[in-house]
Amino acid sequence: MNLVNRIRQPWPVTVKVPIAVAGLMIAVGILLSERVLNRLEETQQNYLVDLSQSYLDGLSSAMGPSVLREDNWEVFDAIERAQSSHRSLRPIETVVVNADHKVIAASDPHKHPIGMTFGGALVDGQFTFDPTGETATVSRLLAYPGRTAGAIFARFDTTHLAAERRSVVLALAFTNGILTLVLALAGWIVMRRMLRPLSILSDHLGTARTDLAQQIAEPIIANTQGEFRGLFRAYNELVRSLGEREELSRRLAEERRVSSLGRLASAVAHEINNPLGGLFNAVATLKTHGHMEGVRDAALGLLERGLQAIKDTVRTTLSIYRTDREPRPLEPTDFDDVILLVAPEARRRSIGVRINRNIDGCISLPSTPIRQAVLNLVLNAIAATPDAGTVQLSVVADGHDLTIRVADEGNGMPNWAITILTDRKSSLPPLERSGLGLWATARLVADLGALLDVEQADINGTIVRIRISYSPRELAHVA
Amino acid sequence: MSCSPSGNLSRRSVLSLSAAALFVPALAAPAIAREAPIQFGLTPVFLTSDLELLGRLQSYLERSTGYAVELINRRTYQEVTALLTSGQIDGAWICGYPFVSHHTELQLIAVPLWHSKPLYQSYVIVDANRGATDIMSLRGDIHAFSDPDSNSGFLVTRAVLAEHGLRPESFFSRTMFTYGHRNVIRAVASGLAQSGSVDGYVYEVVSRLEPELTKRTAIVTASEWLGFPPIAAPKNAPSAERLALLKRALLDMHKSNDGLAVLEMLELDGFASESPSLFDPIAKKAALVAAAG
Repeated sequence: MNLVNRIRQPWPVTVKVPIAVAGLMIAVGILLSERVLNRLEETQQNYLVDLSQSYLDGLSSAMGPSVLREDNWEVFDAIERAQSSHRSLRPIETVVVNADHKVIAASDPHKHPIGMTFGGALVDGQFTFDPTGETATVSRLLAYPGRTAGAIFARFDTTHLAAERRSVVLALAFTNGILTLVLALAGWIVMRRMLRPLSILSDHLGTARTDLAQQIAEPIIANTQGEFRGLFRAYNELVRSLGEREELSRRLAEERRVSSLGRLASAVAHEINNPLGGLFNAVATLKTHGHMEGVRDAALGLLERGLQAIKDTVRTTLSIYRTDREPRPLEPTDFDDVILLVAPEARRRSIGVRINRNIDGCISLPSTPIRQAVLNLVLNAIAATPDAGTVQLSVVADGHDLTIRVADEGNGMPNWAITILTDRKSSLPPLERSGLGLWATARLVADLGALLDVEQADINGTIVRIRISYSPRELAHVA
Repeated sequence: MSCSPSGNLSRRSVLSLSAAALFVPALAAPAIAREAPIQFGLTPVFLTSDLELLGRLQSYLERSTGYAVELINRRTYQEVTALLTSGQIDGAWICGYPFVSHHTELQLIAVPLWHSKPLYQSYVIVDANRGATDIMSLRGDIHAFSDPDSNSGFLVTRAVLAEHGLRPESFFSRTMFTYGHRNVIRAVASGLAQSGSVDGYVYEVVSRLEPELTKRTAIVTASEWLGFPPIAAPKNAPSAERLALLKRALLDMHKSNDGLAVLEMLELDGFASESPSLFDPIAKKAALVAAAG
């Protein structure tokens, strides 16, 4: 089974619960991390806003009228002093412009020389901060009574804040990852421990699907606590009752076999008894008129045919019910024997049994179970067919498959009978006595590895078909 | 040292001034605070640059004169000169330019000795990578001056331009006053100004103390040797006794350990009595500039 199929199969609870725990932990972790990062971002922004406002307050206060006078040196000196006294804020650039956007002084005069036009609108209180970026910017208008004298633009290094944020993200990811793994593992262990009794029960039930159900061992029950102990005991009771039922069925099957043997013995006796009257008459005729050649020949002919009929009956009976040490291959005459065996029952019901046999030579299939299965089906067909009806047996071998069809003229096979006949998994015989023959046939067919289906089951009759595959090479060998 | 003591240079100038003002012979530790304190003028740049030097100077002057010494700090030379000419302070370390401008109101107390001479130069500096060769190539620059009353930080460059019939406002695209020679160096080094006029003594001292700052600049021209910024007193001193003690303290500064420590911090050799004619070249430049209008 490849990996995809394994994944597509339903997962056990011991896997699903830890995965669910891990999923919940991840969701909670993401939610909490998002909240923490938002809070951190707010804190960092407030920190920057406060410090930058302090920086701008100090700078604007220190510059004072110098901006109005556009005293380049005083403004530059104020910027340098402010940057020096606000090292914790990490100012990296400060530009002071007049009302015409012309630079009065900047922390980096090479980049922003005096008199150069500085881009950007004069907006008071503008603050931009990207938590993942490297800089934050702030601006403030320098307004004096009556007019706007200029503005301050400052840029601060925020790489340490971004680094702090990254470290918090890493710490959260690491902590949440560890917690998720630990809780998933704990969930797996706890669930595995909690569901161990269910696993035991599941294993036993799984075994029962394909084989006889086994009881749960007593030490396991003794080591199980709580409601599972009672469940195990109930299961064992169920298995015990199933065993008893199977034993009962076995006995019923045995009784039926004995009954069948009785009927068979009766039929055989009947077959033998029929010619016996004629034979005794022939013997009496011989004793009385044996000297007459014509009478003697007629009597001997009668004796021979009668004895031949008895011989055929005995041979057929032996060939069906003897237990061969070596399985005998299937021969065309095996089906003739079946017809011969059912002939008394057919005659009693005035039912014609026709055979259409298209098979040449031996087939490498065991003859005994096939004969028994066909015999059962034909007897069943005779029983289902009204008096004076017809039962047809068709046998075809095409070199690969042997197909046997038994057709009756009954009112159709009931569903319960079809179920017994076609259910290859049922290892237990039906409780009803009437289904034993069908169950035995189904088991014989299943043992042969053959396919059995009911082609038709309605008021026009029922057709049961058996298809058995065989190897032509084996056939040649046998032949 | 030029008139405007900026940064380390300023502190040294102040020390020189204070030593000249003390001018008093090394008295044998007279009692302190006998009467009114000696008031000695300095610039605020000096104070903020090196408080240790200020403290040592004050300590030395008090010990040498026996008077309490009060160091008076102002932002510009003009303010200090005004205090001096109005007789509100006993003495001050000023520049040669205001000295010659107010020579009728001031008397010369002492002149610092740098490399054993009472002389210094004015430098015009630019960015180290610029490659300018003379002051005429600086047309259109943003130029940094130290102080409008500074000889080396304004008058010398102004006089050179006047010799060519030029004025700073038209020759340079923009000018600024930084009120400190070290500030001029900072302005040029940072790129705020493209050139600047600076005291040669301050520049050399800063180049040793802060080489990272001056190595970003280059000297384009150096003036002739001119009289070092002097220590002056009002012609009518508030107290002849205090003035005499101040002068003696300055002239004898090199004779005591604490005085030598102050001189060492200033990187000066001592103070000397010089003739006011030492500043005649500066007076000529002032006259040239005044004539140019």
